[in-house]
Amino acid sequence: MSEIHHLSIKQLRDLIQRRDASVTEITESFLNRIRQCDDKIKAFLTVQEEPALAQAAQLDRQLASGESKNGLLTGIPLAIKDNIVTQGVRTTCASRILEDYIPPYDATVMSRLKESGAILLGKTNCDEFAMGSSTENSAFFPTRNPWDLERVPGGSSGGSAAAVAVGEAPGALGSDTGGSIRQPAAFCGTVGLKPTYGRVSRYGLVAFASSLDQIGPVGNSVSDVALLLQAIAGSDPQDSTSAARPVEDYLGEINQEVKGLKIGVPKEWFGSGLDGQIEQSLRAAIKKLEGLGCSLLEVSMPQTEYAISTYYVIAPAEASSNLARYDGVRYGHRSADQTDLDSMFKSTRSEGFGEEVKRRIMIGTYVLSAGYYDAYFIKASKVRTLLRNDYHEAFKKVDLLVGPTTPSLPFKIGEKKTDPLEMYLMDIYTVTANLAGIPGLSLPCGFSQEGLPIGLQLQAPYFQEARLLNLGHALEQELNVQKPKLAV
Amino acid sequence: MPIDTREVEKIAELAHLKFDPQELERFVGHFQQILEYFTQLETVSTGAVSTENVQYAHQAVEGKNRGTPMREDEVRSSLPVATALDNAPESSEDHFQVPPVIE
Repeated sequence: MSEIHHLSIKQLRDLIQRRDASVTEITESFLNRIRQCDDKIKAFLTVQEEPALAQAAQLDRQLASGESKNGLLTGIPLAIKDNIVTQGVRTTCASRILEDYIPPYDATVMSRLKESGAILLGKTNCDEFAMGSSTENSAFFPTRNPWDLERVPGGSSGGSAAAVAVGEAPGALGSDTGGSIRQPAAFCGTVGLKPTYGRVSRYGLVAFASSLDQIGPVGNSVSDVALLLQAIAGSDPQDSTSAARPVEDYLGEINQEVKGLKIGVPKEWFGSGLDGQIEQSLRAAIKKLEGLGCSLLEVSMPQTEYAISTYYVIAPAEASSNLARYDGVRYGHRSADQTDLDSMFKSTRSEGFGEEVKRRIMIGTYVLSAGYYDAYFIKASKVRTLLRNDYHEAFKKVDLLVGPTTPSLPFKIGEKKTDPLEMYLMDIYTVTANLAGIPGLSLPCGFSQEGLPIGLQLQAPYFQEARLLNLGHALEQELNVQKPKLAV
Repeated sequence: MPIDTREVEKIAELAHLKFDPQELERFVGHFQQILEYFTQLETVSTGAVSTENVQYAHQAVEGKNRGTPMREDEVRSSLPVATALDNAPESSEDHFQVPPVIE
């Protein structure tokens, strides 16, 4: 048997069910792994060592006495992105402005994970307020890529993806506003899912851009991601944008036949901006889809080239409004010794927010201000409608879409940090799913010559997560990607 | 559309932010570069989309008939005052405390 920290969630569940390992042993194993490698990876902002072990011991007692409910995730330790609030556990959004914030309530996803029997291992690093594609915008420290410590893990959920890749946690939650689950999953060689807008409650997710944000899982296999989605999906009276429709049986449907599925290959996703090694790896993987009995069809997504502009008008506009709440009055940082209210607001926000967050608040304020509202915000909202129509047309012809997750391989720490626009362009293949609201799944499809992970993305129509995971699982089995040795 | 330092300062005022001169200079440069990139949106023909056609995200996903979710206006329990004040930088009795707003 390989070491506990490299087992899948499914294997860990079997160990617990058969009493081959106690919940305490399993939790200890992941805490040990964190002790062993997190000074190099820096995936965690907060580790809940004692509370996790106390909860594990309690679960072991319940299992021994037979009074434990058979939860979906009983005894599984998980890592949670630090923009998802956890009652009594510091939640910073990787920002100075929330450095000491202790939430008085749990996000709905946290309540659901707890009901399923999961254990909170700790809170993971991210770009400040989830704004970034490298986790370098954390106010505390950057996280490092587990395959090459000199490179970024992607972002914004870089801590969650790196922790899962390196075996510090068997699974994690992240959030995805423009690719923040899928892109780090691709950069770290893990599987990441952005569910349909409304599939998972966002109550307790610190708001960035409300028409785009969605919580989703990260795991080492498609079936682990399916299991985590099962635990967190569903409507919630606390989030009026959560969808009322029933949740499918994701694990139950994961082995369905994929023969006969029609897969669209958008020609605009294979343009000149795509790295050669990524394209080569993708083309080989797409061939495997044919081998599985799927038929391939070229489709067109003409608005792709406008997606970055559209996204970087709409997301900052919503962020500028959402982040108005950080004023130093009710919680978070307050600037010292300010004698009037207006100076207190300005100093608090200027001291508390980092450069990228300020930039997005400024862009957002600008595109919403009188004289520019129509030219930027309304225009971008209309282009967003056209982009939704692109998907609508494509899904008339095909069942799913396949393409890259990222245009480039994981880049070096510091390489793109001084050029914000270049960093924004990294999101080209992921933002479209958020703008349209559809689900997207990234899974590993190979490794580059340098030993860096390459991600492949599948997208599906609204609420078709079951089919998305079904095809992802089939392709994962067929590809059987052999991972090189981790850097730690 | 070029943007100058004065305009960036005006936007900062609206956003309740302030920048030191060095920060401001770097900021104006990045801001200009990003706005220039956005000008590509002008080339997209959006004549077929009226402002009324622009849907809310949840309606786009769940269909036009998905209205605003309503619930009964019932009294429900809320956060105790003391708990709500736990994270306040300054509080007094059962209030948040801020610098004086009246001279």
